[in-house]
Amino acid sequence: MFGRSRLGGFFAGLAGLFLLLPLVAVIPFSFTPKRFLSMPDGEYSLRHYLAIFDPDTWLASIGTSTLVAILSSVIATALAAAFSIGIWLRRPASGRFLIGLVLLPIIVPPVTSAVALYFLLAQIGLLDTIPGLVLSHVVMIVPFSVIAILGALSRLDRNLELAARNLGASQLQSIFRVILPNIRFGLFAAWFVSLVMSWEESSVTLFVSGVNVITLPKRIWDNLRLDLDPAVAAISVIMIVATTLVILLRKSET
Amino acid sequence: MQRAIIEPNPTPPADSKAASPSKPGSLLQHPNSVAAEVRNLRKIYNVGSPQAHEALKDVNLSIRANEFFTLLGPSGCGKTTLLRILGGFEMLTSGTCRIFGEDVSRLPPEARPVNTVFQQYALFPHMTVRRNIAFGLEMLGKPKAEVERTVERMLDLVHMREYADRRPDTMSGGQRQRVALARALAPQPKLLLLDEPLSALDLKLRQKMRLELKSLQRETGITFIFVTHDQEEALAMSDRVAVISNGHLQQVGTPEDIYEQPQSRFVADFIGESNLIEAKVADSAGSEAAFDIEGFGQVQAPIGQRVEVGQQVWLSIRPERLVLGAVHREGPQATVTDRTYLGNAVEYHLRAGKHALTARSPRGGLRGRQDFAPGDAVSLGFEPGSIKVLLS
Amino acid sequence: MIERRFQLRWPLGASGSLLMLWALPVILLLAYVLPFAGVTLWSVTRPEPGFENYVRIVTGADFQAIFVRTAWVCLLSTAITIPIAYLLAYYWVMGSARRSRLIEICIFIPFWISVLVRAFGWVVILRNNGLASDVAAAFGLNGLSTGRNVWSVITGMVHFMVPFAILPMASVMRKIDSRVLLAALGLGCRPLGVFWRVYLPMSLPGVFSALAMTFIFSLGFFVTPMILGGGRVVLTAESVFVQMFQTANWGLGAALGVVLLVVVFAILWLSQRVMRIEQLMSR
Ligand SMILES: Nc1ncnc2c1ncn2[C@@H]1O[C@H](COP(=O)(O)OP(=O)(O)O)[C@@H](O)[C@H]1O
Ligand SMILES: [Mg+2]
Repeated sequence: MFGRSRLGGFFAGLAGLFLLLPLVAVIPFSFTPKRFLSMPDGEYSLRHYLAIFDPDTWLASIGTSTLVAILSSVIATALAAAFSIGIWLRRPASGRFLIGLVLLPIIVPPVTSAVALYFLLAQIGLLDTIPGLVLSHVVMIVPFSVIAILGALSRLDRNLELAARNLGASQLQSIFRVILPNIRFGLFAAWFVSLVMSWEESSVTLFVSGVNVITLPKRIWDNLRLDLDPAVAAISVIMIVATTLVILLRKSET
Repeated sequence: MQRAIIEPNPTPPADSKAASPSKPGSLLQHPNSVAAEVRNLRKIYNVGSPQAHEALKDVNLSIRANEFFTLLGPSGCGKTTLLRILGGFEMLTSGTCRIFGEDVSRLPPEARPVNTVFQQYALFPHMTVRRNIAFGLEMLGKPKAEVERTVERMLDLVHMREYADRRPDTMSGGQRQRVALARALAPQPKLLLLDEPLSALDLKLRQKMRLELKSLQRETGITFIFVTHDQEEALAMSDRVAVISNGHLQQVGTPEDIYEQPQSRFVADFIGESNLIEAKVADSAGSEAAFDIEGFGQVQAPIGQRVEVGQQVWLSIRPERLVLGAVHREGPQATVTDRTYLGNAVEYHLRAGKHALTARSPRGGLRGRQDFAPGDAVSLGFEPGSIKVLLS
Repeated sequence: MIERRFQLRWPLGASGSLLMLWALPVILLLAYVLPFAGVTLWSVTRPEPGFENYVRIVTGADFQAIFVRTAWVCLLSTAITIPIAYLLAYYWVMGSARRSRLIEICIFIPFWISVLVRAFGWVVILRNNGLASDVAAAFGLNGLSTGRNVWSVITGMVHFMVPFAILPMASVMRKIDSRVLLAALGLGCRPLGVFWRVYLPMSLPGVFSALAMTFIFSLGFFVTPMILGGGRVVLTAESVFVQMFQTANWGLGAALGVVLLVVVFAILWLSQRVMRIEQLMSR
């Protein structure tokens, strides 16, 4: 191997620390005994972690976010799977165009997507409702599912489908008994990515909900904009720890 | 002849037409019926687009029941395409395609009594060997007990019983090959399509599987349509061979026919080796004709079809049927340019006028055969009937 | 006369897969593309029919200031993001196993964490009397400008962008055959020369896609700038939010959204042309 200079390695380490810095910085603030956001000086408290369990505010938002994330990730994954398998089976001449269309929400600036979805929900009267939010999330996260599933399908031997058909399976049977079982990891990845994306969605969500339906990101947003409640620090620490655990566990598995 | 929906039936419904086979596996009763037939078949990929490509050009072919039939041709000649049309994976552009008398042009793959062994086997990676073999039977809606019985029989047939509960990705190429065969044979198709099934195996295993495949075909009585680009494989296994080149059907016949009586330059060259010499008809009388070869002289050869005096033809002669001798008389002569020792034979490269020829003689120099060295002048002799006249 | 093999066929026959194929595109056409057409309509009908909104956007001094600021902030954040991301991508792909693992963790923890949490982390560090000013004070640097300003916004945006920019670069770097590098070394090129003359040019396609991606992302971004800029560093995307929800000027907000989209597509188109030219030249 060439070119692993000391200096370069040092700067790479600094850059890595830069990425972790704000995540680490939050941790002490979550243990402050004071009512406002501050560095604890000698005294520590878990009061802000307990505040998360307030059923009217944080806990309600966590519930809403969970519900919306599960619904929209399942719907998005199902739609993405149908679409990707359709593309894989039929290889339509319009395939490139269709994939481009489906990936649009990634490319279009989130704020523009948000305005479009706001317009839609205003027209059909679903602003600030769970169904409206789920619809918006599905639109925003479905490209990620499509990318994951198309990737899994591209590694699948086409002849498997032909073999199934050849052995008497109908199209539907070959999808359920051969194609889907063979892309199960891709499907899981697609679902998981879209679950996380929906759970974190904070651009479209701010446009299309916020009074009746308050997701966790929306509540954090309000806190950041108005007063800096240390509960945000506590929530952040929990999310950081959970993410770190998932990443480390997944790493040690492989 | 109905093709609408009939309930899945463990015992196949009796056919109404007496001439047709009534049950799979009982085809031996109808040795002369036609298993598959294509008429004026054309296949153009990407019709109407600039990348349009004609993969099959007016192919006519008739495959008999119980036959081991081989489609032979170089890579890209359209073998797989023809097989996929028979299997229903590809729509034909024009012409007809019949399987046991019925036009199947519009039938989806799952409705055809045809199974396929794919080029890379396409075993279901998420299923065990047993489940792979059972798949086709389950799709037919066979009762559980029958499925199990058939699977066991198939496992024995291909000697894979010990591997029944393994997954395909843990097995060798030869083992996968056997599973793919068992899977395709289990539903007792009337026609088995095999797309270069041996090409992924090493030489020894390939030779062993040739024999196994051949005996499997005899045991089951199922019509095999086998695709290969390996002429040795084709000659060794087949009842009949169809040689395809560039989407054209070149010649159909028994391995002997194809080898001994090539009807075109392509076949003469592709099957085994041939010396191909351009010649002009000098004289023709009945079933014999004389041919002028530039810078070489005149030779006599039997002809199968009418030729005109002055017509341009090609003469083909196999290297092993070219007899070299000391120069002692008038007649065609050549100079040895190179000698290659092949173990069981010696190959001589010759130059005669502007023609380059190859001759092969068993163990040159031994057993009374004369050996030659580069630079030697030799006389050329032809075994009777060894020169084939080719018009195309 | 063929022995039939039958099963329950898909109720819709061959059109079943057609339905699967088209379900998602039709939903997106109805729920995304069509509403966008509606937004475009808003932009020319509200408050009254005409191109008023666009004229204001193009000629209004306030908007010109926002555009100039947006361009600067996005260019700067991209310019800072790319070298950092390149360095990390390089050591992720080429570094020793241990370093590569550590870097991977540094990349993916922030990658998966909510942009809000990350912005919050920077708020904690950068606000007035926050960690950064404490640290600066400890070094005797009083009165360092921290808090809600352009630099905070850029810091937050760079932090958000780096993990995204790493991915395309790393995927190109992974495809570089290390034997090519060995060959260059074998031909007498010094390690640093190999990097400049072989590795960097070969990794450029990844840099280009990271560039286009980073710039486009930063244009459409409003969560981080709004939190870290606190209304003092208004960028284009944020002004869409402001027009829609704070001044209720829907037509203007819609027009800004349309303009943003047009700019993004223009950049995409341009970057694809650049890539194609780059590919042509590398042949
Ligand atoms: N799906 C396809 N689309 C376009 N051209 C094809 C397709 N499949 C095969 N071809 C072309 O048709 C010709 C015959 O292909 P094939 O039947 O696979 O040849 P073989 O099996 O004899 O090697 C080749 O030139 C190939 O490039
Ligand atoms: Mg082939």
